[in-house]
Amino acid sequence: MKAMRKLTVTLASILVALAGLALAPEAALTPYADVAHAVLLKAIAAAAFLLLLAIIADRPKAEPARTAAEAVNLAAPVPTGNQADAEVVNFLAILQEKGRLVDFLMDDITAYSDAQVGAAGRVLHEGCKAVLLEHFGIRPMREEGEGSKVTIPPGYAPDDYRLVGKISGEPPFTGTLVHHGWRAEWVKLPRLIGISAGRPPAIAPAEVELG
Amino acid sequence: MDHRFSLGIDLGTSNSAIALSEVDGEQTDIIELTQVLGPNRIGEKPTLPSAVYIPHPDEFPEGTFPLPWRTAGSGGAIIGHFARDHGALVPDRLVTSAKSWLSNPHIDPRQRILPWNSEIKEQKLSAFDCSRFYLEHIRESFCYAMRRRGTDMALPDLQVMLTVPASFDDIARNLTAEAAEAAGFGKVILLEEPLAAFYAWTAQAGKEWRAQIRPGDIVLVCDVGGGTADFSLIAISENEGVLDLKRISVGEHILLGGDNMDLALAYALRARLEADGKSIGEMQFLALTHAAGKAKVAMFEEEALAEFPIAVPSRGASLLGGTVSTQLDRQTLEQVILEGFFARTGIADLPQKARRAGLQEFGLPYAPDPVISKHLARFLTRSLENVQASETLRSLISAEARSKPFLAPTAVLFNGGVFKAAPIRRRLLDLLAAWNEGHAVRELAGYQPDLAVAKGASFFGRNRITGKGIRIKAGASRSYYIGLETSMPAVPGFNPPLKALCVVPQGMEEGSEVRIEGRDLGLVTGQSAEFRFFSSEVRSGDAPGQIIPDAERDLLEISLLEVDLAAVEDIPAGQPVPVQINAVVTELGNLELWMKHTKSDRRWKVEFQVRTE
Repeated sequence: MKAMRKLTVTLASILVALAGLALAPEAALTPYADVAHAVLLKAIAAAAFLLLLAIIADRPKAEPARTAAEAVNLAAPVPTGNQADAEVVNFLAILQEKGRLVDFLMDDITAYSDAQVGAAGRVLHEGCKAVLLEHFGIRPMREEGEGSKVTIPPGYAPDDYRLVGKISGEPPFTGTLVHHGWRAEWVKLPRLIGISAGRPPAIAPAEVELG
Repeated sequence: MDHRFSLGIDLGTSNSAIALSEVDGEQTDIIELTQVLGPNRIGEKPTLPSAVYIPHPDEFPEGTFPLPWRTAGSGGAIIGHFARDHGALVPDRLVTSAKSWLSNPHIDPRQRILPWNSEIKEQKLSAFDCSRFYLEHIRESFCYAMRRRGTDMALPDLQVMLTVPASFDDIARNLTAEAAEAAGFGKVILLEEPLAAFYAWTAQAGKEWRAQIRPGDIVLVCDVGGGTADFSLIAISENEGVLDLKRISVGEHILLGGDNMDLALAYALRARLEADGKSIGEMQFLALTHAAGKAKVAMFEEEALAEFPIAVPSRGASLLGGTVSTQLDRQTLEQVILEGFFARTGIADLPQKARRAGLQEFGLPYAPDPVISKHLARFLTRSLENVQASETLRSLISAEARSKPFLAPTAVLFNGGVFKAAPIRRRLLDLLAAWNEGHAVRELAGYQPDLAVAKGASFFGRNRITGKGIRIKAGASRSYYIGLETSMPAVPGFNPPLKALCVVPQGMEEGSEVRIEGRDLGLVTGQSAEFRFFSSEVRSGDAPGQIIPDAERDLLEISLLEVDLAAVEDIPAGQPVPVQINAVVTELGNLELWMKHTKSDRRWKVEFQVRTE
């Protein structure tokens, strides 16, 4: 469960970071901005989707129920078999509901101008960021500025760092901080309960206006 | 009964929150409320939006909204975040502002008429039902939170402080207390919201708070929330070296707040979009209002921002093709918010009265004049009138302060989300200074934008148990009167003025009672008798038993009183029984009226009925 959440965090952080990048070129009016922008956006869509697939494929198969105490208190018993699928889809549904993430990624981006992409990007950025801030305590892994010299102490957690370049000898390692990384200090996801067995919940229900 | 905990409940017009203090502890903590966040999705949030959604039976699969407790009386109704957000798309099935309906004098709060003007087939709800549902949800959610924490607590361990607007009359107060009892809270203690905000401020400022105020100060508690504006004045005096605080005046119920501001901005933005040849539909207008609210907050927070981008998403799946964008610039923001709602009007500039159309549709009495400055001017002018009316209040205010046409505050405590914006706070302070010949008005430092009322209620509840800390003297916020029909021969074209008898004086304290001597009424057994009931928040000088010659001109009619005298053994049927009026304000802050038999200890309770026209 923890591992999956962590992956979800990673996915979401990357998407939002990329969406942020998508907005940035508007300000930089270089002659090649348009081309660069279009390429970048395609890359975002592809990368995000691959990540999403990777996570869904990578999920733990047998998911223990949420903490026993909670399960006891819930009015309806929680099915455990498809709970993991449902939790991922549910989080995707939140990103879609608040930040229209799935709409953004499933659209064919080549057909639109940068201004249109920018406008949609603002909806995405505002909504998805709000979701992240509400459900995760997100902090940089390292507080130093990127480009500065950092020291990795002996006994560091290897999964907190990706060491690149020449790795040799014993820690402490010193090097240049390329990306400050992100961590989730706490996670507070809504609880998914009473889902129907056999199929994942809707990412977004079809909306029909009556009257 | 030994209470170990003090629970403060802020039952808000738009959002509710609760805070808990341990009697032996120092801390006051907000307890997050469990609620439905979406289909099959529950979670905790610091506030519970005061919204009830009545779903269509086929709208969601059965068991879509399982809360971790059994919902007793609310049927299938959904309460909280999801109810509010989803209900915005299906307004016919959404009830909001139930609290304002509760204090609406023209509508029976127990009549099942909400959602107002809706054509749904399902059972509708009364304003009272809604308050009870919110409180039930709060109680269940609180108990669930305690179970999750592993705190061993039963309701008898708890003293519950429930806040109500200062503008609530005693009928709305009694209904709120009754709703809490029906929701399983037992007897709760009522506290006025602005006073709770003041207590929260003293709790936060610690020992420092005494340094910020001094004898002679008149503190304005200015609370503008999402949907309502509520004002109170607290006079500070000194008695043998001890600070004495007294709430000397409360405002009227004004339905005007931050939501109106977001809406006004959205209209300005829509006009701009339309000028650019873009159009948006009804539902997108909701999103625009939402975006306008966020832009307002961001621009008031970051005063260097000249403009803020606004993007309204498409309703369909093509976000890229359908998103409409514009921006909010600072000039528009200031024009709409500061000049529109907090205009630099004069002290004599009072709110416009509602236009009287021939046929007026009853609904919520929204303030017809959006300028908060004018409502404040009216409040301060009426406050002076109230102070001048009684010897006790006059003695608290210096002659100089009473020589102006209004009662000028010397310090302000802000409360409510609207005042998160520093420019709005500054504008209000400027306005007060301008009215008071340029004398600066202090802002009490330590404004807490969120959840102050719940925290203050819980904090004060603890002080009430331990007997420590300050207590603002308040008592009844208004005086109450019973109409006396004058017996006069009928004359065509002439309506004799209705006289009224003062039965509850303003400031009447909790745990006290008065008996109106020398004004015996004759009630006939086996029949029900009705009286018209009036109140005033500006007649502090009226004493019990005093007669007001023209009630309809000088007082506000709020209700009908009904008393049913069952046949009594020793009194022959049809014979009038001499009774005296006996008014009681309970320890918990509830007003009760009784008709007491003059010759025995027997008494009959008077029920408040809603005046319908």
